[in-house]
Amino acid sequence: MRFIARYAKDLGKNFEVIDVFDEEVKRVVISKENPSIKTLAKKYPSAIWFERKMSDDFGIVIEDAFDKRVLVHQERFPHAIHPMLKDFKEKEIEFSEYVPYKYEVVSGDGIFQVSVGPIHAGIIEPGHFHFSQAGEGMLHQEVRHFYKYRAIEKMLEGKTLFEAKPIIERISGNESVAYQTLWRDITAMACGVEIPLEMRKRDAFLLELERVIHHLTDLGFIPNDGGFGAALAYASKLCEDARRKMKELTKSRFGFGSINFEQSFWDVESIKIYLEQLQKDIDFFQDWIMDIPSIWDRFDTTGILDVNNCVKYGGVGVVARACGIVNDRRLNQFYLENGFESVSEVSGDVSARFKVRLKEVQNSIVMMRNFLQTKSFSVELDDVKDGEYMSFTESSIGELFMSIDIKDGVIERFFARDPSFINWQTLHLMMRADIIADFPLINKSCDLSYAGNDL
Amino acid sequence: MIRFWNKRLKLGVLTQDLEFDEELEQIKKAIKSEVNKKFAGSLAIRMVDSGSCNACEAECNALANPYYDLERLGIYFVASPRHADVMLLSGVMTFNMTPHAIEAYKQIPEPKWVITMGDCPLMKAPFEKTFAIKAPANNHFEVTHHIEGCPPEPREIIKGLLEFLRKI
Repeated sequence: MRFIARYAKDLGKNFEVIDVFDEEVKRVVISKENPSIKTLAKKYPSAIWFERKMSDDFGIVIEDAFDKRVLVHQERFPHAIHPMLKDFKEKEIEFSEYVPYKYEVVSGDGIFQVSVGPIHAGIIEPGHFHFSQAGEGMLHQEVRHFYKYRAIEKMLEGKTLFEAKPIIERISGNESVAYQTLWRDITAMACGVEIPLEMRKRDAFLLELERVIHHLTDLGFIPNDGGFGAALAYASKLCEDARRKMKELTKSRFGFGSINFEQSFWDVESIKIYLEQLQKDIDFFQDWIMDIPSIWDRFDTTGILDVNNCVKYGGVGVVARACGIVNDRRLNQFYLENGFESVSEVSGDVSARFKVRLKEVQNSIVMMRNFLQTKSFSVELDDVKDGEYMSFTESSIGELFMSIDIKDGVIERFFARDPSFINWQTLHLMMRADIIADFPLINKSCDLSYAGNDL
Repeated sequence: MIRFWNKRLKLGVLTQDLEFDEELEQIKKAIKSEVNKKFAGSLAIRMVDSGSCNACEAECNALANPYYDLERLGIYFVASPRHADVMLLSGVMTFNMTPHAIEAYKQIPEPKWVITMGDCPLMKAPFEKTFAIKAPANNHFEVTHHIEGCPPEPREIIKGLLEFLRKI
């Protein structure tokens, strides 16, 4: 069984803890008087972040956990506060006394620590990486995030699905369409309507366009981090073209507000011409980049994620597919009928992740052609019914999961698990055989989201 | 590689090939002269994300693509606040990030300015105030200029930088 998520709900007198696996959903109710639960992390290591987050959010004690440090609540956060409890209603909290965070380190003669972040040396999101170094070699690395923690789960409580929409689409700018797709699924379920095929095709087109944009960014930045800047110039031009296409279709370069229950009117012919050109440009890029030995010398065998480790941690998305695990939420009839082909590599290194992205762009272009259609659709939405709704999709990073509880027509509990939340925890496993100068390359090859992770 | 250079030579300079070309060229000329006048030819920007959705960062990265190529105007995104003239701030100033953003600002040598970008730092984005948000940014910094948009497009960022340069 693959572990997907673990999260809690405040039921008033009790907590409910929900464990989501690919085959089943397990639930357990624990009393608030003695809120403790056993860890899952001994079997599923990536459960540890979920559990640490649960402790911060609700004050639930994880009895036998090997790591009981705070996760979301950083040095200056008042530690007695558990903000996801229903009776916590403050809109402002003060900085409390600075309590240093104890990093996981390897120590010994001549071993030193390197701290990187939260503000990095480029235009990227904030996050912290802590290395234990023996000379250039990395002995251990700890990823520490949640600098972007905006408390979106709490922010959305008490809102209707439609009020929540603009916030949900801005959880992670790189995955906006994917988040909106899940919102659409949940809204349709809650209103008891079937999503018309034409609408699913339109949304799937946008999701693939978003994937193309994200992959193109990486196809430029990964070689750039490997010291080959020309690829960045080439790919960032294609990326800009794709963003402008996104703007033409949705009025936003990031697809904000693009998934809704209204009909869109697209100029199908001009999109076809664009896709034709993109196909040619990508084929050219592939021929070119595959022929540059210095790049592959840098990519091959760098940052290997062992397939066993990936399975153990439940890795998802590009990272998992690059080590041979066919794990893709698009493996269903709808996508297969429209030309989806599962892409995977076996070496698990930077070059595998690069190749997976390149092939996925090519596959996305094929699918986007098939998703184009001119038929109209209309959807009549009924009233929202109370209940618990869950949905999955494949964002450009990997499997995205969202669960929304609706009570009296408004959101009672919102939970989203970004693919990055799992994959960040596998990052340290890729570092064992490499030097610290390889870290930016390895990190970029995974290109995980900080905003989606921190929520 | 030879095929790449053939293509490259045929394509020429991409930045001269835009629909809003003329307007952009004028802005760029103006920026270049302002940068030359006020910053001796180079304006160094330290971008700090204090809790955005990453769209603002993506648009700042887009400024380096062949369509805009901001660096040839003398505007650079630098790696350290100690190399910077300006802090470009995006995001909602999260509880966890606020102390670090303030520290980054302190590290910038005088004279220094703060430009905010996107709707987040003014709390005009759809995000609502929670305990984990410390925006608006002008509670923490003296903000010289604001570039609005969610996110502002690269062209708007370029325009915004020009307005900032005219202001000071």
